[in-house]
Amino acid sequence: MAKQYDVLFRLLLIGDSGVGKTCLLCRFTDNEFHSSHISTIGVDFKMKTIEVDGIKVRIQIWDTAGQERYQTITKQYYRRAQGIFLVYDISSERSYQHIMKWVSDVDEYAPEGVQKILIGNKADEEQKRQVGREQGQQLAKEYGMDFYETSACTNLNIKESFTRLTELVLQAHRKELEGLRTRASNELALAELEEEEGKPDGPANSSKTCWC
Amino acid sequence: MVWAKQIFLMQDTKTMKEKGINRLYKKNSFSARPPAVRRGGREAGMEYEDKTGRPSKPPSPKQNVRKNLDFEPFSTTALTLEDRPANLPAKPAEEAQEHRQQYEEMVVQAKKRELKEAQRRKKQLEERCKVEESIGNAVLTWNNEVLPNWETMWCSRKVRDLWWRGIPPSVRGKVWSLGIGNELNITQELFDICLARAKEKWRSLSTGGSEVESEDAGFSAADREASLELTELDISRTFPNLCIFQQGGPYRDMLHSILGAYTCYRPDVGYVQGMSFIAAVLILNLDTADAFIAFSNLLNKLCQMAFFRVDHGLMLTYFAAFEVFFEENLPKLFAHFKKNNLTPDIYLIDWIFTLYSKSLPLDLACRVWDVFCGDGEEFLFRTALDILCDPRSALKQRSSGPVLFQMDTLAAEKNRASFHVALKQTNKQTNRKNF
Repeated sequence: MAKQYDVLFRLLLIGDSGVGKTCLLCRFTDNEFHSSHISTIGVDFKMKTIEVDGIKVRIQIWDTAGQERYQTITKQYYRRAQGIFLVYDISSERSYQHIMKWVSDVDEYAPEGVQKILIGNKADEEQKRQVGREQGQQLAKEYGMDFYETSACTNLNIKESFTRLTELVLQAHRKELEGLRTRASNELALAELEEEEGKPDGPANSSKTCWC
Repeated sequence: MVWAKQIFLMQDTKTMKEKGINRLYKKNSFSARPPAVRRGGREAGMEYEDKTGRPSKPPSPKQNVRKNLDFEPFSTTALTLEDRPANLPAKPAEEAQEHRQQYEEMVVQAKKRELKEAQRRKKQLEERCKVEESIGNAVLTWNNEVLPNWETMWCSRKVRDLWWRGIPPSVRGKVWSLGIGNELNITQELFDICLARAKEKWRSLSTGGSEVESEDAGFSAADREASLELTELDISRTFPNLCIFQQGGPYRDMLHSILGAYTCYRPDVGYVQGMSFIAAVLILNLDTADAFIAFSNLLNKLCQMAFFRVDHGLMLTYFAAFEVFFEENLPKLFAHFKKNNLTPDIYLIDWIFTLYSKSLPLDLACRVWDVFCGDGEEFLFRTALDILCDPRSALKQRSSGPVLFQMDTLAAEKNRASFHVALKQTNKQTNRKNF
């Protein structure tokens, strides 16, 4: 029985409320965009399998509530993530300022070696822009992160940024992956890695997504 | 229409005197199950009748049965059996006989189908009438008997049964208000004061907000501004498809007022995402002040306070209690969830915070609220179990008629006794763990 994927990673979307985390996710997994999204309560997730360097990667993307009050809940999910998107809204200076706070939360709660990427969303709203592209680049550089300006609305850089973070996570875990590639019984080893990466998720998970 | 054409075609091909082809046609047209006769067939038949100028009367062996029907089957008249046009050689007698027989079979089949459909429709109509009648009766009972004597009657068996079956929309708000109660003794005046204060704050924030109010110690102006912005953002994201809470919508200000007044009434709790949904559902059923009173009292319930203050420890206790309840009732599914590491926080948080108003269709959510307002928080967990058990059954109701008396799947009337036992156990657990 062939496996549907080789490895499973967990990515996490964080950032202020209303920056468009859920929209990014919906655009990436379902290629859908609704201007009238409803706020995420607690956490939610969606899955997608993509191929990077010939490896089928199943990514489980966790979407979180942006309100600070929910942090006690959302931080529980930080430690299970291998990659994190820090999202701000280019039309909201405040959401950009808050990235610092989000980064420090990541430092505190996420595991060491977690991969991060900075996203300036709503790039289509040029006339409302409050945060320059250079500011985003500058901040990303400071924290040593990659940076993308995205638009879930116009589908700008969505696939690119998700693929990039997946690549980064793959690179960070290259050692384990190399190890398992050299082994003959590939499948067994991959399964082992999977166990290590987090618990494998069965089809029951996908049924959850329809409730969002 | 296709069917009528097929008959015509078959008769036509006969002229070719190619029995092989003809047989093939026959086989194709008749050996297969006759397709449903559609209403559209009538036109085709008529057209043909007109052309020949001689309307034919299909012989029906069950003519008398037809008269007894309440619903006249209409489309069988569209099927007409015609002799071959005069300019073509006539059919051999035995073949004509065979066709007649086949034709009769078709008519009988079509009639049967129509009769069935008509009976189904009649039954549906009767059921709908019955439901509407019982809703009407329920409204009368609530208005004339229960509501005027609430104190003495609300815990009676009769009222509990009535309640369980669903509160008619016209009295829903009142019953919810009474069911939730007003432990906090909030009055219209208090609401007005809180609202006035909220408005003052909005003004000061919009005019630059230089005068710092010291009342809410620990809350900086920036925080309050952020909270206000978030509230406004969420208001526009509350039931967006209803288009009544959004900018310019009729209930936007009402929702804003309630949420604003609440943050002044309980600055220690403030605005928490999810509240906008609860307030919105209340607004749909109550006046502003009453909605505020119900809202504040609802949030003051043990379970809601634990969640809206994001008391993680207490939330975990609720989750643990739910898991016990889950395992007891659906051990197989529970094991499956455990194996896949699906913990209650993933699904319960959203459900409990918004009291299902975000994840269930609104009419169904109101049914959950009906029982929740009467039976309390345990029902929320019971609902969760029902959804997990068969999410499709809960969703299916979206398309079908009035939801009012359709709680069978959700409330599982059939195992109500065991439900109450389970409830008691959960109740004990949560109570024990709460205090």
